[in-house]
Amino acid sequence: MKLIETDVLVIGAGPAGSSTAKHAALNGAEVILMDKKSEIGAPKRCAEGVSKEGLKKLGIEPNSRWVTKELSGVRLVSPNGTDVWMKEDQVKLPEAGYILERKVFDKFMAMEAARAGATIMIKTLAKGMRKENSGYIVSCESMGEDFEIKAKIVVGADGPESRVGRWGGLKTTVKPKNMESGIQFEMCGLEMEDPDVIEFYFGSVAPGGYAWIFPKGEDIANVGLGIVSTYTDKSAYEHLVEFVKNCPATKNAQPVELNIGGDPVGGMLKTLVADHLMIVGDAAGHVNPLTGGGIITALEAGMYAGEVAGAAVKDEDFSEKKLKEYQEKCKTEIGDSFEKYLKTKDYMLSLSDSDLDSIALAFQNTEFENISTKELIKLLIKVSPKALLKLGKLF
Amino acid sequence: MIVKEWCMYCGECAGVCPRSLIEVRETSLNFNEEGCKDCRICIQVCPVKALAKEE
Repeated sequence: MKLIETDVLVIGAGPAGSSTAKHAALNGAEVILMDKKSEIGAPKRCAEGVSKEGLKKLGIEPNSRWVTKELSGVRLVSPNGTDVWMKEDQVKLPEAGYILERKVFDKFMAMEAARAGATIMIKTLAKGMRKENSGYIVSCESMGEDFEIKAKIVVGADGPESRVGRWGGLKTTVKPKNMESGIQFEMCGLEMEDPDVIEFYFGSVAPGGYAWIFPKGEDIANVGLGIVSTYTDKSAYEHLVEFVKNCPATKNAQPVELNIGGDPVGGMLKTLVADHLMIVGDAAGHVNPLTGGGIITALEAGMYAGEVAGAAVKDEDFSEKKLKEYQEKCKTEIGDSFEKYLKTKDYMLSLSDSDLDSIALAFQNTEFENISTKELIKLLIKVSPKALLKLGKLF
Repeated sequence: MIVKEWCMYCGECAGVCPRSLIEVRETSLNFNEEGCKDCRICIQVCPVKALAKEE
Protein backbone atom coordinates (compact mmCIF):
# COMPACT_ATOMS: atom_id res chain seq x y z
CA MET A 1 0.00 0.00 0.00
CA LYS A 2 1.18 3.52 -0.78
CA LEU A 3 2.77 5.29 2.20
CA ILE A 4 3.19 9.07 2.36
CA GLU A 5 5.43 10.56 5.04
CA THR A 6 5.04 14.01 6.58
CA ASP A 7 5.89 15.93 9.73
CA VAL A 8 2.38 17.07 10.57
CA LEU A 9 -0.94 15.65 9.40
CA VAL A 10 -3.97 17.84 10.12
CA ILE A 11 -7.31 16.04 9.79
CA GLY A 12 -10.18 18.44 9.10
CA ALA A 13 -9.96 21.67 7.10
CA GLY A 14 -12.29 23.93 9.03
CA PRO A 15 -10.93 27.16 10.56
CA ALA A 16 -9.06 25.26 13.31
CA GLY A 17 -7.42 22.81 10.91
CA SER A 18 -6.46 25.37 8.30
CA SER A 19 -5.05 27.70 10.94
CA THR A 20 -3.02 24.85 12.44
CA ALA A 21 -1.72 23.82 9.02
CA LYS A 22 -0.82 27.38 8.08
CA HIS A 23 1.10 28.11 11.27
CA ALA A 24 2.85 24.73 11.36
CA ALA A 25 4.00 25.30 7.76
CA LEU A 26 5.09 28.87 8.52
CA ASN A 27 7.16 27.43 11.35
CA GLY A 28 9.03 25.11 9.03
CA ALA A 29 7.07 21.84 9.23
CA GLU A 30 6.10 19.70 6.28
CA VAL A 31 2.30 19.64 6.52
CA ILE A 32 -0.62 17.76 4.99
CA LEU A 33 -4.13 19.14 5.54
CA MET A 34 -6.92 16.72 4.67
CA ASP A 35 -10.70 16.91 4.65
CA LYS A 36 -13.29 14.22 3.98
CA LYS A 37 -15.53 16.62 2.09
CA SER A 38 -15.37 17.44 -1.59
CA GLU A 39 -15.72 21.16 -0.87
CA ILE A 40 -14.00 22.86 2.04
CA GLY A 41 -16.46 25.04 3.96
CA ALA A 42 -19.61 23.35 2.71
CA PRO A 43 -22.08 22.62 4.07
CA LYS A 44 -21.74 25.30 6.71
CA ARG A 45 -22.67 24.35 10.23
CA CYS A 46 -22.80 27.70 11.97
CA ALA A 47 -24.40 31.14 12.11
CA GLU A 48 -21.22 32.70 10.63
CA GLY A 49 -20.74 35.53 13.14
CA VAL A 50 -17.29 36.70 14.26
CA SER A 51 -16.13 39.62 16.36
CA LYS A 52 -14.11 42.44 14.83
CA GLU A 53 -11.68 42.29 17.75
CA GLY A 54 -11.18 38.57 17.26
CA LEU A 55 -10.11 38.92 13.64
CA LYS A 56 -7.91 41.88 14.53
CA LYS A 57 -6.18 39.94 17.31
CA LEU A 58 -5.33 37.20 14.80
CA GLY A 59 -4.08 39.65 12.19
CA ILE A 60 -6.74 38.63 9.66
CA GLU A 61 -7.82 41.53 7.45
CA PRO A 62 -11.56 41.51 6.66
CA ASN A 63 -12.07 40.71 3.00
CA SER A 64 -15.11 41.65 0.93
CA ARG A 65 -15.03 38.16 -0.62
CA TRP A 66 -16.08 36.58 2.66
CA VAL A 67 -17.62 39.34 4.76
CA THR A 68 -21.31 39.53 3.87
CA LYS A 69 -22.35 42.06 6.48
CA GLU A 70 -20.77 44.48 8.90
CA LEU A 71 -22.97 44.90 11.94
CA SER A 72 -23.79 47.99 13.90
CA GLY A 73 -25.67 46.64 16.87
CA VAL A 74 -27.30 43.90 18.88
CA ARG A 75 -30.94 43.31 19.81
CA LEU A 76 -31.80 41.01 22.71
CA VAL A 77 -35.39 39.74 22.86
CA SER A 78 -37.00 38.13 25.91
CA PRO A 79 -39.83 35.57 25.70
CA ASN A 80 -42.64 38.14 25.92
CA GLY A 81 -41.02 40.31 23.22
CA THR A 82 -39.37 42.87 25.49
CA ASP A 83 -36.34 43.94 23.53
CA VAL A 84 -33.08 45.67 24.34
CA TRP A 85 -31.29 47.54 21.57
CA MET A 86 -27.59 48.31 21.66
CA LYS A 87 -26.43 50.33 18.68
CA GLU A 88 -23.02 51.53 17.59
CA ASP A 89 -24.08 55.18 17.74
CA GLN A 90 -24.92 54.77 21.43
CA VAL A 91 -22.27 52.39 22.74
CA LYS A 92 -18.90 50.92 21.85
CA LEU A 93 -19.19 47.66 19.95
CA PRO A 94 -15.97 45.73 20.43
CA GLU A 95 -17.57 42.30 20.00
CA ALA A 96 -20.35 42.74 17.49
CA GLY A 97 -18.71 42.29 14.17
CA TYR A 98 -19.07 40.60 10.83
CA ILE A 99 -21.24 37.93 9.31
CA LEU A 100 -19.12 35.72 7.09
CA GLU A 101 -19.79 33.56 4.06
CA ARG A 102 -18.24 30.41 5.50
CA LYS A 103 -18.16 28.62 2.16
CA VAL A 104 -15.75 31.30 0.97
CA PHE A 105 -13.99 32.01 4.27
CA ASP A 106 -13.06 28.39 4.98
CA LYS A 107 -11.60 28.03 1.48
CA PHE A 108 -9.74 31.30 1.97
CA MET A 109 -8.20 29.95 5.18
CA ALA A 110 -7.26 26.67 3.51
CA MET A 111 -5.66 28.66 0.67
CA GLU A 112 -3.67 30.58 3.29
CA ALA A 113 -2.42 27.23 4.59
CA ALA A 114 -1.53 26.13 1.05
CA ARG A 115 0.32 29.39 0.38
CA ALA A 116 2.28 28.83 3.60
CA GLY A 117 3.41 25.49 2.16
CA ALA A 118 0.83 22.92 3.29
CA THR A 119 -0.34 20.17 0.95
CA ILE A 120 -4.13 19.91 0.79
CA MET A 121 -6.00 16.68 0.19
CA ILE A 122 -9.78 16.96 -0.27
CA LYS A 123 -12.33 14.14 -0.38
CA THR A 124 -9.92 12.16 1.79
CA LEU A 125 -11.21 10.23 4.78
CA ALA A 126 -9.13 9.14 7.77
CA LYS A 127 -10.38 5.68 8.67
CA GLY A 128 -8.17 4.83 11.64
CA MET A 129 -4.64 5.12 12.98
CA ARG A 130 -2.02 3.09 14.74
CA LYS A 131 0.94 4.21 16.77
CA GLU A 132 4.54 3.60 15.88
CA ASN A 133 7.59 4.72 17.82
CA SER A 134 8.18 7.69 15.58
CA GLY A 135 4.54 8.79 15.22
CA TYR A 136 1.24 7.58 13.85
CA ILE A 137 0.27 5.78 10.66
CA VAL A 138 -3.15 6.93 9.52
CA SER A 139 -5.24 4.77 7.17
CA CYS A 140 -6.86 6.91 4.51
CA GLU A 141 -9.25 6.57 1.60
CA SER A 142 -9.68 8.96 -1.29
CA MET A 143 -11.68 8.45 -4.47
CA GLY A 144 -11.62 4.69 -4.08
CA GLU A 145 -7.90 4.47 -3.27
CA ASP A 146 -6.61 3.21 0.09
CA PHE A 147 -3.28 4.52 1.31
CA GLU A 148 -1.46 5.42 4.53
CA ILE A 149 0.12 8.58 5.87
CA LYS A 150 2.92 8.40 8.42
CA ALA A 151 3.10 11.55 10.53
CA LYS A 152 5.28 12.64 13.43
CA ILE A 153 2.33 14.65 14.73
CA VAL A 154 -1.34 14.07 13.97
CA VAL A 155 -3.71 16.96 14.67
CA GLY A 156 -7.41 16.13 15.06
CA ALA A 157 -9.41 19.10 13.77
CA ASP A 158 -12.29 16.85 12.86
CA GLY A 159 -15.12 18.67 14.56
CA PRO A 160 -17.47 17.74 17.39
CA GLU A 161 -17.69 14.19 16.07
CA SER A 162 -13.90 13.85 16.43
CA ARG A 163 -12.63 10.33 16.16
CA VAL A 164 -8.95 11.21 15.86
CA GLY A 165 -8.68 12.10 19.55
CA ARG A 166 -10.47 8.91 20.54
CA TRP A 167 -8.16 6.82 18.35
CA GLY A 168 -5.27 8.39 20.25
CA GLY A 169 -6.82 7.68 23.66
CA LEU A 170 -8.17 11.18 24.42
CA LYS A 171 -11.63 11.57 25.88
CA THR A 172 -13.43 13.61 23.24
CA THR A 173 -16.91 12.10 23.56
CA VAL A 174 -19.42 14.87 24.26
CA LYS A 175 -22.14 14.27 26.84
CA PRO A 176 -25.67 14.95 25.50
CA LYS A 177 -26.16 17.79 28.03
CA ASN A 178 -23.08 19.49 26.57
CA MET A 179 -23.99 19.05 22.91
CA GLU A 180 -26.15 21.81 21.53
CA SER A 181 -28.16 20.76 18.48
CA GLY A 182 -27.85 23.65 16.08
CA ILE A 183 -30.18 24.15 13.15
CA GLN A 184 -30.60 27.07 10.80
CA PHE A 185 -32.28 28.27 7.67
CA GLU A 186 -30.65 30.81 5.43
CA MET A 187 -33.71 32.84 4.45
CA CYS A 188 -34.74 35.67 2.19
CA GLY A 189 -37.70 38.03 2.39
CA LEU A 190 -37.15 38.84 6.05
CA GLU A 191 -38.76 41.91 7.52
CA MET A 192 -36.11 42.89 10.06
CA GLU A 193 -36.46 46.05 12.09
CA ASP A 194 -32.82 46.83 11.34
CA PRO A 195 -30.85 44.63 8.91
CA ASP A 196 -27.54 45.78 10.43
CA VAL A 197 -28.33 44.35 13.85
CA ILE A 198 -27.98 40.77 15.05
CA GLU A 199 -30.89 39.48 17.10
CA PHE A 200 -30.94 36.95 19.94
CA TYR A 201 -34.13 35.39 21.32
CA PHE A 202 -34.06 33.76 24.75
CA GLY A 203 -36.24 31.40 26.78
CA SER A 204 -38.46 28.46 25.93
CA VAL A 205 -38.26 29.31 22.22
CA ALA A 206 -34.97 27.35 22.30
CA PRO A 207 -34.70 25.14 25.41
CA GLY A 208 -31.09 24.94 26.60
CA GLY A 209 -29.90 27.52 24.09
CA TYR A 210 -31.21 30.53 22.17
CA ALA A 211 -32.50 31.54 18.76
CA TRP A 212 -30.80 34.00 16.44
CA ILE A 213 -31.23 36.13 13.35
CA PHE A 214 -27.87 37.02 11.80
CA PRO A 215 -28.39 39.35 8.80
CA LYS A 216 -26.45 38.71 5.60
CA GLY A 217 -28.21 41.32 3.48
CA GLU A 218 -31.15 43.74 3.48
CA ASP A 219 -33.72 40.91 3.54
CA ILE A 220 -31.39 37.90 3.93
CA ALA A 221 -30.33 36.26 7.20
CA ASN A 222 -29.26 33.10 8.94
CA VAL A 223 -32.23 32.22 11.13
CA GLY A 224 -31.48 29.47 13.59
CA LEU A 225 -31.43 28.11 17.07
CA GLY A 226 -29.56 25.76 19.33
CA ILE A 227 -31.26 23.46 21.80
CA VAL A 228 -30.03 20.83 24.23
CA SER A 229 -31.89 17.57 23.73
CA THR A 230 -32.11 16.89 27.47
CA TYR A 231 -34.32 20.00 27.87
CA THR A 232 -37.00 19.16 25.29
CA ASP A 233 -38.82 16.30 23.61
CA LYS A 234 -39.08 18.15 20.31
CA SER A 235 -36.36 18.09 17.68
CA ALA A 236 -34.31 21.18 16.91
CA TYR A 237 -36.03 21.27 13.52
CA GLU A 238 -39.49 21.38 15.12
CA HIS A 239 -38.40 24.25 17.37
CA LEU A 240 -37.00 26.15 14.38
CA VAL A 241 -40.13 25.76 12.29
CA GLU A 242 -42.19 27.06 15.22
CA PHE A 243 -39.83 30.01 15.73
CA VAL A 244 -39.88 31.00 12.07
CA LYS A 245 -43.68 30.81 12.00
CA ASN A 246 -44.12 33.01 15.08
CA CYS A 247 -41.33 35.57 14.73
CA PRO A 248 -42.55 38.79 13.03
CA ALA A 249 -39.29 39.15 11.11
CA THR A 250 -39.41 35.66 9.58
CA LYS A 251 -43.05 34.68 9.24
CA ASN A 252 -43.14 35.76 5.58
CA ALA A 253 -39.57 34.73 4.76
CA GLN A 254 -38.55 31.77 2.60
CA PRO A 255 -35.69 29.31 3.23
CA VAL A 256 -32.99 28.79 0.62
CA GLU A 257 -30.70 26.57 2.69
CA LEU A 258 -30.92 24.29 5.74
CA ASN A 259 -27.89 23.75 7.98
CA ILE A 260 -27.51 21.49 10.99
CA GLY A 261 -24.74 20.47 13.32
CA GLY A 262 -23.71 19.81 16.89
CA ASP A 263 -22.02 22.47 18.98
CA PRO A 264 -19.97 21.18 21.94
CA VAL A 265 -20.72 23.74 24.66
CA GLY A 266 -19.29 21.93 27.67
CA GLY A 267 -16.08 23.95 27.76
CA MET A 268 -12.53 23.15 26.70
CA LEU A 269 -11.43 19.55 27.23
CA LYS A 270 -8.84 19.02 29.96
CA THR A 271 -6.45 17.03 27.82
CA LEU A 272 -5.69 18.21 24.29
CA VAL A 273 -2.44 16.36 23.64
CA ALA A 274 -0.70 13.02 23.90
CA ASP A 275 2.59 11.82 22.43
CA HIS A 276 2.51 12.71 18.69
CA LEU A 277 -1.12 13.91 18.95
CA MET A 278 -3.03 17.18 19.34
CA ILE A 279 -6.71 18.10 19.03
CA VAL A 280 -8.03 21.55 18.14
CA GLY A 281 -11.25 23.45 17.43
CA ASP A 282 -14.64 21.85 18.07
CA ALA A 283 -12.85 18.53 18.65
CA ALA A 284 -11.14 20.14 21.65
CA GLY A 285 -14.19 22.04 22.92
CA HIS A 286 -12.89 25.39 21.67
CA VAL A 287 -16.42 26.78 21.67
CA ASN A 288 -17.66 29.55 23.96
CA PRO A 289 -20.05 27.64 26.26
CA LEU A 290 -22.33 30.67 26.62
CA THR A 291 -22.62 31.90 23.04
CA GLY A 292 -21.77 28.72 21.14
CA GLY A 293 -19.40 30.78 19.00
CA GLY A 294 -16.21 29.05 17.97
CA ILE A 295 -14.71 30.48 14.78
CA ILE A 296 -12.29 32.91 16.41
CA THR A 297 -11.26 30.51 19.18
CA ALA A 298 -10.73 27.77 16.59
CA LEU A 299 -8.47 30.05 14.56
CA GLU A 300 -6.62 31.17 17.68
CA ALA A 301 -6.15 27.65 19.04
CA GLY A 302 -5.05 26.52 15.57
CA MET A 303 -2.40 29.21 15.57
CA TYR A 304 -1.04 27.99 18.91
CA ALA A 305 -1.21 24.35 17.78
CA GLY A 306 0.65 25.14 14.55
CA GLU A 307 3.35 27.11 16.32
CA VAL A 308 3.97 24.35 18.87
CA ALA A 309 3.88 21.65 16.18
CA GLY A 310 6.44 23.61 14.15
CA ALA A 311 8.69 23.99 17.20
CA ALA A 312 8.30 20.27 17.98
CA VAL A 313 9.48 19.40 14.47
CA LYS A 314 12.50 21.70 14.82
CA ASP A 315 13.37 20.20 18.22
CA GLU A 316 12.51 16.66 17.07
CA ASP A 317 10.52 16.32 20.26
CA PHE A 318 6.98 15.01 19.78
CA SER A 319 6.38 14.04 23.38
CA GLU A 320 3.25 14.88 25.32
CA LYS A 321 5.40 17.11 27.50
CA LYS A 322 6.51 19.19 24.52
CA LEU A 323 3.02 19.38 22.97
CA LYS A 324 1.59 20.46 26.34
CA GLU A 325 2.96 23.92 25.56
CA TYR A 326 -0.04 24.17 23.23
CA GLN A 327 -2.45 22.91 25.88
CA GLU A 328 -1.17 25.40 28.46
CA LYS A 329 -1.45 28.29 25.99
CA CYS A 330 -5.03 27.30 25.19
CA LYS A 331 -5.88 27.07 28.87
CA THR A 332 -4.53 30.54 29.62
CA GLU A 333 -5.83 32.31 26.52
CA ILE A 334 -9.13 30.47 25.99
CA GLY A 335 -10.03 27.87 28.63
CA ASP A 336 -9.95 30.03 31.76
CA SER A 337 -12.55 32.47 30.40
CA PHE A 338 -14.67 29.52 29.26
CA GLU A 339 -14.96 28.38 32.89
CA LYS A 340 -16.71 31.65 33.74
CA TYR A 341 -18.97 31.46 30.71
CA LEU A 342 -19.88 27.89 31.62
CA LYS A 343 -21.08 29.02 35.04
CA THR A 344 -22.97 31.92 33.46
CA LYS A 345 -24.66 29.53 31.05
CA ASP A 346 -25.74 27.28 33.92
CA TYR A 347 -27.22 30.32 35.63
CA MET A 348 -29.00 31.48 32.45
CA LEU A 349 -30.51 28.04 31.98
CA SER A 350 -31.94 28.19 35.50
CA LEU A 351 -34.04 31.26 34.59
CA SER A 352 -37.72 30.98 33.71
CA ASP A 353 -39.31 32.93 30.87
CA SER A 354 -40.69 35.45 33.39
CA ASP A 355 -37.22 35.88 34.98
CA LEU A 356 -35.84 36.68 31.51
CA ASP A 357 -38.67 39.16 30.86
CA SER A 358 -37.87 40.97 34.14
CA ILE A 359 -34.17 41.14 33.30
CA ALA A 360 -34.93 42.47 29.81
CA LEU A 361 -37.11 45.15 31.34
CA ALA A 362 -34.34 46.15 33.73
CA PHE A 363 -31.86 46.23 30.81
CA GLN A 364 -34.21 48.54 28.90
CA ASN A 365 -33.88 51.12 31.66
CA THR A 366 -30.10 50.95 31.78
CA GLU A 367 -27.54 52.98 29.89
CA PHE A 368 -24.79 50.98 28.24
CA GLU A 369 -21.23 52.06 27.66
CA ASN A 370 -19.85 48.99 26.00
CA ILE A 371 -21.11 45.76 24.45
CA SER A 372 -19.21 42.58 25.04
CA THR A 373 -20.26 39.26 26.49
CA LYS A 374 -18.36 40.11 29.66
CA GLU A 375 -19.90 43.57 29.97
CA LEU A 376 -23.40 42.16 29.47
CA ILE A 377 -22.82 39.67 32.28
CA LYS A 378 -21.60 42.48 34.53
CA LEU A 379 -24.79 44.35 33.75
CA LEU A 380 -26.84 41.23 34.43
CA ILE A 381 -25.24 41.03 37.87
CA LYS A 382 -26.16 44.67 38.44
CA VAL A 383 -29.86 44.25 37.61
CA SER A 384 -30.49 40.80 39.06
CA PRO A 385 -29.90 39.97 42.75
CA LYS A 386 -30.00 36.26 41.88
CA ALA A 387 -27.23 36.77 39.31
CA LEU A 388 -25.20 38.68 41.88
CA LEU A 389 -25.32 35.68 44.19
CA LYS A 390 -24.42 33.19 41.46
CA LEU A 391 -21.96 35.16 39.39
CA GLY A 392 -20.82 38.11 41.51
CA LYS A 393 -17.43 36.62 42.37
CA LEU A 394 -16.67 35.58 38.82
CA PHE A 395 -16.89 38.92 37.01
CA MET B 1 -29.79 1.52 12.95
CA ILE B 2 -32.13 3.00 10.38
CA VAL B 3 -30.79 6.20 8.81
CA LYS B 4 -33.65 8.14 7.29
CA GLU B 5 -33.37 9.65 3.84
CA TRP B 6 -33.25 13.21 5.24
CA CYS B 7 -30.09 12.64 7.32
CA MET B 8 -27.65 15.47 6.59
CA TYR B 9 -24.52 13.73 7.93
CA CYS B 10 -23.78 16.51 10.40
CA GLY B 11 -22.08 14.05 12.75
CA GLU B 12 -23.75 15.10 15.99
CA CYS B 13 -24.66 11.46 16.62
CA ALA B 14 -21.02 10.45 16.29
CA GLY B 15 -19.95 13.18 18.70
CA VAL B 16 -22.10 11.82 21.53
CA CYS B 17 -21.73 8.08 20.89
CA PRO B 18 -20.05 6.85 24.09
CA ARG B 19 -18.52 3.88 22.29
CA SER B 20 -17.36 5.74 19.18
CA LEU B 21 -19.26 3.41 16.88
CA ILE B 22 -20.34 5.86 14.20
CA GLU B 23 -18.24 6.83 11.20
CA VAL B 24 -19.46 9.92 9.35
CA ARG B 25 -18.65 10.16 5.67
CA GLU B 26 -19.62 12.97 3.33
CA THR B 27 -22.89 11.32 2.35
CA SER B 28 -23.20 8.23 4.52
CA LEU B 29 -23.13 7.03 8.13
CA ASN B 30 -21.55 3.73 9.09
CA PHE B 31 -22.69 2.15 12.36
CA ASN B 32 -20.77 -0.59 14.11
CA GLU B 33 -23.94 -2.34 15.22
CA GLU B 34 -22.10 -5.12 17.04
CA GLY B 35 -20.72 -2.81 19.71
CA CYS B 36 -23.99 -0.91 20.23
CA LYS B 37 -25.44 -1.10 23.77
CA ASP B 38 -28.74 0.47 22.71
CA CYS B 39 -28.29 3.67 24.76
CA ARG B 40 -30.06 5.61 21.97
CA ILE B 41 -28.24 8.86 22.71
CA CYS B 42 -27.56 9.23 18.99
CA ILE B 43 -31.29 9.08 18.29
CA GLN B 44 -32.03 11.60 21.06
CA VAL B 45 -29.65 14.33 19.85
CA CYS B 46 -30.31 14.20 16.10
CA PRO B 47 -31.51 17.71 15.13
CA VAL B 48 -33.82 16.35 12.43
CA LYS B 49 -34.84 12.99 13.97
CA ALA B 50 -33.21 11.07 11.15
CA LEU B 51 -32.19 8.02 13.19
CA ALA B 52 -34.37 5.16 14.39
CA LYS B 53 -33.68 1.80 15.96
CA GLU B 54 -34.74 -1.36 14.17
CA GLU B 55 -37.28 -2.98 16.51
